[in-house]
Amino acid sequence: MNKTADRIAAVAFLAVGALFMVESLRISKSAYGSAVGPNVFPFLLGLVLVLLSIKLLFETRNYSGATGEKLPRQYKKFLVIFIAAIFYAALLETVGYVITTFLFLVIGFQTMEKGALWKSIAIAAGFSLGVYGLYVKLLQGTLPSWPIWFQ
Amino acid sequence: MDTLSFLFDGFQTALQPHNLLFAFIGVLIGTAVGVLPGIGPMSGVALLIPVTASMTSGLSPEQAAASSIILLAGVYYGAMYGGSTTSILLNTPGESSSVVTTLDGYQMARQGRAGAALAIAAIGSFVAGIVSLIGLVLLAEPLSNVALKFGPAEYFSLMLLGLAAVSGLAGKSMTKAWIMTVFGLLLSTIGLDNVSGVARFTYNISYLYGGLEFLTVAVGLFALGEVFKSILHNEMNSGEIAKIGRVLPTKADLKESAGPIARGSLLGFFIGVLPGAGATLASFFSYILEKKVSKHPEKFGQGTIAGVAAPESANNGASGGAMIPLLTLGIPGSGTTAILMGALIMYNVQPGPLLFDEHPAVAWGLIASMFIGNVMLLILNMPLVKVFAKIIQTPTKYLLPLIIAISVFGVYAVQVTTFDVFLLLAFGLLGYWLAEHDYPLAPLVLGLVLGPMIENNMRRALTASNGDYLVFFEKPISLVLLVIAFLWIAVPFVMKLRGKSVVINEDM
Repeated sequence: MNKTADRIAAVAFLAVGALFMVESLRISKSAYGSAVGPNVFPFLLGLVLVLLSIKLLFETRNYSGATGEKLPRQYKKFLVIFIAAIFYAALLETVGYVITTFLFLVIGFQTMEKGALWKSIAIAAGFSLGVYGLYVKLLQGTLPSWPIWFQ
Repeated sequence: MDTLSFLFDGFQTALQPHNLLFAFIGVLIGTAVGVLPGIGPMSGVALLIPVTASMTSGLSPEQAAASSIILLAGVYYGAMYGGSTTSILLNTPGESSSVVTTLDGYQMARQGRAGAALAIAAIGSFVAGIVSLIGLVLLAEPLSNVALKFGPAEYFSLMLLGLAAVSGLAGKSMTKAWIMTVFGLLLSTIGLDNVSGVARFTYNISYLYGGLEFLTVAVGLFALGEVFKSILHNEMNSGEIAKIGRVLPTKADLKESAGPIARGSLLGFFIGVLPGAGATLASFFSYILEKKVSKHPEKFGQGTIAGVAAPESANNGASGGAMIPLLTLGIPGSGTTAILMGALIMYNVQPGPLLFDEHPAVAWGLIASMFIGNVMLLILNMPLVKVFAKIIQTPTKYLLPLIIAISVFGVYAVQVTTFDVFLLLAFGLLGYWLAEHDYPLAPLVLGLVLGPMIENNMRRALTASNGDYLVFFEKPISLVLLVIAFLWIAVPFVMKLRGKSVVINEDM
């Protein structure tokens, strides 16, 4: 068990619980036809979460210091893919499904492992066009098709 | 015999050509999901919800619900089935429920008996599937009749018991499991209040009025969380795949594994019915049981066929047994059944005692399709074992970005807003971080699914009693359920204090 991580988590959950408690005080207390207003359930839950976080905070004191060896993490790869995913989501509606998906996949494949660019392009194109064709043309679903300035 | 005629109707639903196709697709994808490292049954089922939603869009609501639940349940037990393949061939379990299978399965593969091990796993799973099906048919009606007599107070206590059972057994730290449960319940209060229509915690963000979409949260936490973990930890599939060899088991193999399969199926089924226990514990217990019963306990761990047959039957029996509390009481006992329940609610079908009255086609269709699915799995798995073994070698570099793309597509297709796609990515990060630090995710999803029902029943009970909180203790059934819930939490706690080790369920 990681001491620092659990302390951060405990404080974060404590804050979340407290936030829900404070905010539920602002919700109207009465509801027509019901003895218990919409504020009660979240308030109680917030309280329980606060108490549990305090319990966790106390438990972290008993953790032994050794946290085991740290394994290497691929932060760079992950960040590239995650940021690409954020752009993917942000541009999905303006640039359209096919182009964004294709670009995201090519970036993703190449970030995971450089090389075999043509294979990456082929798989990405196959997936994005395939999903679009199947979902929009065959199943009559809705996806943003092409760039808005294109139509 | 009402049950029989209902079951017959169920078979009529399940045997319709399109439902047969759905069951087939379900078990096929499920087996692939089980075989592929990195996607477990939970993320597999969550990922396929949007796909089934679009596939069934042409059908009437009732039929659409029946067809999609048939497909999703197929994925569920297909994945249980497929999980054993990697355990035996690669010594890396696809799911935590087949961890025990590696002990003897991989040894058998090293001795060149991989084919027999795979075949026995398939046969054992099939028998267990049939056993749990019979149990489901026998228990469904009586249990839902009992549950029909429940009022809001009893329901509230029953759901608390369900949460207590799951949280009490999940993960390494009970405090963490409870934090996740309460966090899930809190997340479920976001959006318009069901009773009064008051907006809660929405901060004028219009997307939040409908509440956090269950699908977005589940796909983010499970599927994306897993993908992020695989990228960060650089989990590439490597290792030699053992040769499969002769697939059909010999007569001696069959004779040796008949007993373990029968005991494993029954034990698995009853453990599965208990909320929170789940398939991992079932496979673990049945292995221990076989070792105790066996005349040659020293053979276990060296590649004995009973060591494969028993846990594989038990984990499939458990996944069938887990359907019982879901269908009859509306209480999911595990992460995967919580996701199935979320899917049913998306179709406006409320699992619970009324399910058998209000949506007989869905309930009995699902039960019948379990039988058909099991037959399909047996037919599919024996000859196709070698094909599925090939799937293991899918390069991760293509697989991981594709799972992200499928998740984005799935969420966008159902929600049609990019807000949910951002939410999906955020929950992916959260899911990775939480799982990495031993915070179990299943209780969170369970809290999210059960939250609205718990709150409604609590408020209805309190309204009837004019705000008197003692109502939960005054009704006898409710009191009994609360006492069991309390014991469920207290007993392991006391045992831990006394320094005893407590068996926990790590797949949650």
